[in-house]
Amino acid sequence: MSILVAEQVCFGYGARAVLDGVDLAVRSGEIVGLIGPNGAGKSTLVRALAGIVRPGAGVVRLDGRPLAEWTRTERARRIALVPQDPRVEFPYTVLEVALMGRAPHLSALALPRGRDLDIVRGVLERLEVADLEARRIDELSGGERQRVFLARALAQQPAALLLDEPTTHLDLRHQTGLHDVARQRCRQDGLGVLSVLHDLNLAAAYCDRLVLLAGGRVVCAGPPADVLDPVTLERAFGTRVWVGRHAITAAPVVLPLPAGE
Amino acid sequence: MNSNRNTVLQTDCPAACASPEARDIGLFVGPSAGKGLDLLPVRRVLLPMERARRRFGGLLAGALALLLVSCAPAPPQAARAVPRRVVSLAPSLTEVVYGLGEGDRLVGVCAQCDYPEAARRLPKVGGYLSPSVEAVLGVRPDLVLVVPSPGNRESVRALERAGIRVLVAADRTLDDLWAGIAAVADALGVPERGEAMTSKVRGKLQAVRARVEGLPPRRVLLVVGHRPLIVAGGGTLQDELLRTAGGVNVAADAGTAFPEVPLELVVARAPDVILDAAMGSEAGGRELFAAFETIPAVRQNRIVTLAPDALFRAGPRVGEAAAMLASAIHPEAGGS
Amino acid sequence: MPAAHLTRRRLAATSALLAAALTASLAAATLIGPVRASLWTALGPGGEHTPDFAILFRTRLPRVLLGAVVGGALACSGASLQALLGNPLADPHLLGVSAGAAVAGAIALMAGADPVSPIVPLAAFLGALGTVAAVFLVARAAGRTSPYAILLVGVVCNALGAAAIMLVNAIASYTQAQGILFWIMGSLSAQSYGLVAVAGLYALAGAAVLVRHAHHLNLLAAGEEDALTLGVEVEAVRRAVFLASSLLVGAAVAVSGMISFVGLIVPHLLRLILGPDLRLLLPASFLGGAVLLVWADTLARTAFAPSELPVGVVTALLGGPFFLVLLRRALRRSAP
Repeated sequence: MSILVAEQVCFGYGARAVLDGVDLAVRSGEIVGLIGPNGAGKSTLVRALAGIVRPGAGVVRLDGRPLAEWTRTERARRIALVPQDPRVEFPYTVLEVALMGRAPHLSALALPRGRDLDIVRGVLERLEVADLEARRIDELSGGERQRVFLARALAQQPAALLLDEPTTHLDLRHQTGLHDVARQRCRQDGLGVLSVLHDLNLAAAYCDRLVLLAGGRVVCAGPPADVLDPVTLERAFGTRVWVGRHAITAAPVVLPLPAGE
Repeated sequence: MNSNRNTVLQTDCPAACASPEARDIGLFVGPSAGKGLDLLPVRRVLLPMERARRRFGGLLAGALALLLVSCAPAPPQAARAVPRRVVSLAPSLTEVVYGLGEGDRLVGVCAQCDYPEAARRLPKVGGYLSPSVEAVLGVRPDLVLVVPSPGNRESVRALERAGIRVLVAADRTLDDLWAGIAAVADALGVPERGEAMTSKVRGKLQAVRARVEGLPPRRVLLVVGHRPLIVAGGGTLQDELLRTAGGVNVAADAGTAFPEVPLELVVARAPDVILDAAMGSEAGGRELFAAFETIPAVRQNRIVTLAPDALFRAGPRVGEAAAMLASAIHPEAGGS
Repeated sequence: MPAAHLTRRRLAATSALLAAALTASLAAATLIGPVRASLWTALGPGGEHTPDFAILFRTRLPRVLLGAVVGGALACSGASLQALLGNPLADPHLLGVSAGAAVAGAIALMAGADPVSPIVPLAAFLGALGTVAAVFLVARAAGRTSPYAILLVGVVCNALGAAAIMLVNAIASYTQAQGILFWIMGSLSAQSYGLVAVAGLYALAGAAVLVRHAHHLNLLAAGEEDALTLGVEVEAVRRAVFLASSLLVGAAVAVSGMISFVGLIVPHLLRLILGPDLRLLLPASFLGGAVLLVWADTLARTAFAPSELPVGVVTALLGGPFFLVLLRRALRRSAP
């Protein structure tokens, strides 16, 4: 079941087209990976799905209705975004930042209640940042901070979770850990996840479906085995790759081929 | 130049002039002015701050200065020719020049110089606090009359550097006024008219004193600004005039010349008469104090609005100013 | 050390503590002054007709209340602006609104309005409105209320305002210039309860609008996009917060001139103690700013008794070095 769908979405800055007729669906219980070279328009697509930017043409639908028909608060109860490189100007604590995720469910003047605290603390626990609860957000490492922002997103209890290059600052353990959490939520609670990834192997390991975006267009979409094809990848990324098979999981494995091999 | 100056003093004057103080003084004006020597025959400007420090030396210098005035004949050099083209950068000094009968020598005045009527028709060379050096130089004066203020210090220096003779007359006290009249009269070559003017003004002040003699002094507050509430403090010309007119300035201890005071001070000091010489309206002045009927001036409706001009100019009209104050403070003593 | 998050209890306890501190400060400041006044006498039989009553309840209390209102408005506005602009060192006067209010007030004075008439604060407030409109229109040229644009346009307005005030000062006479100085240095010397009441209601209304958006401002801390995904209508919130805090500052300047640093120091200091959550910081800043300004004004009234300093001088003299210390801490903290 599709929660969030982009239908023929176009977006441009002046004469430059960043997205050109893109179709993408985020479905319940599924992790879809968005891959592609730099400048392909991935971040813009994510922002269009989140309702931050409005497409020049085409429409984004949430639960079947165009986004524009939803209020922001309603959207925030269904869609959560973990940004690429979050920065906070003021010294909020980890708990305060995570609690911000409950805002769509509370009125503007209401303080969080016991239930909200339980939800948030549970998420922080799951992401292994619960002991940092009282620490200031600007004192954390990049990886810890990213997990706190994921906690904030999960605290929103969304139906669709959008991850914009979430693994940038994470070490190996947390890269997989984060996606483990996402997958668990996916399977257990029917969360629909979109993850923008540079690491094609991580994408192959966790995503049920991949969408390859290049030059603002969807070049290829489908199961990882179909999309991660050397010819397709070479054309999209402009570099030669070797694609093999994971010895244990049988998932595709992609390795770059230096020139001359 | 210094030694020349000393030689001049020594040949022109007796022993008093040979003293270190005399050497120091150079040219002066008024007991409130200070010392300073220049390369040019110029008078030095003194900052009000220095005045307090120099007061004692100043008084001595002033006494010696008066001696010098009386015993110095025409200078041996041509530099002391009687000036034909005079610029006045202070309304009070403009009035002095006209009062000495030398108004036709004025070739330029400051923008605020509006008395007598003839002064209004003279070319304007800048403001009282900010004269225009170019405009002054443009009328080619050979003497410029100035009252010292922080705002015109730079302009005065510029004029000095351009070789113009500048006479600085302080205007803080009555003694400054007498010295100023004498200096201007002397510079214009009419010292006897200066003495006459001084006598006349002194006479008027004495008449005012006589008028209020025997009457118990009334407690007075002289308001200069409504908001912030600024009043005339002690040690000012206005304070002296108030005393002459039979008043006691309730804000005389306030420290600076024109302090800002809180309203509660006025309530506490309870003046009998409030003189309102502030910019703004008469109604504003009344409204300011209207709620405080414990102040005698308010209760007995003795808030008198005064035009600020005569009151704030250390010029020949201080006599009239004192008379006006006396009428306001002691209306029962009759007018003059 | 701030707790992990804001609880109802902490909000209530901190607010109660600050409110108690404010009440105590109001009482103490009314009883302190350069002049002795007895509360006993004032409240005794026939007390309303004593000078003590006039001093305590007709000069001091209205002034102390006005100080609380203005201090609260400035600090609350400062806190919300720091959040809006994403800069913990932003000051409400940066908006340029204060300069617009000051220029309009100065022009009203030059045009002859009495400094105590209500025309002057009214004119100043209209000047503030005009400046807000100008900043708003220019900063929104791109279709959104960008904090960067607000800051830039505000700085330019400030520069223009400062130049205009200097121009007015140059044209004005000496006594008029004193009134204009009030705008630049700030003074709480308005005395009527009516004015205090109007200013107070206005300040509370403005503060209420800001508190309504307190959590939105929290959500804005991680950036515009994050706030959007959390359900904040960022554009509408920025507009409302900008308008409410500008008008708060404009009203404060209209009644008391430009009082500096309160809007910068109070929110900054309280943020260090209470944490950045604006749901606590906004009301706390209001109360804290009120306390600070009441005491600063008490110092201004008593330090050089019987004369007084403009309260803006006290806040600048104390606030300046304090701000430098804060700045040093901030720089050291951000060093790698």
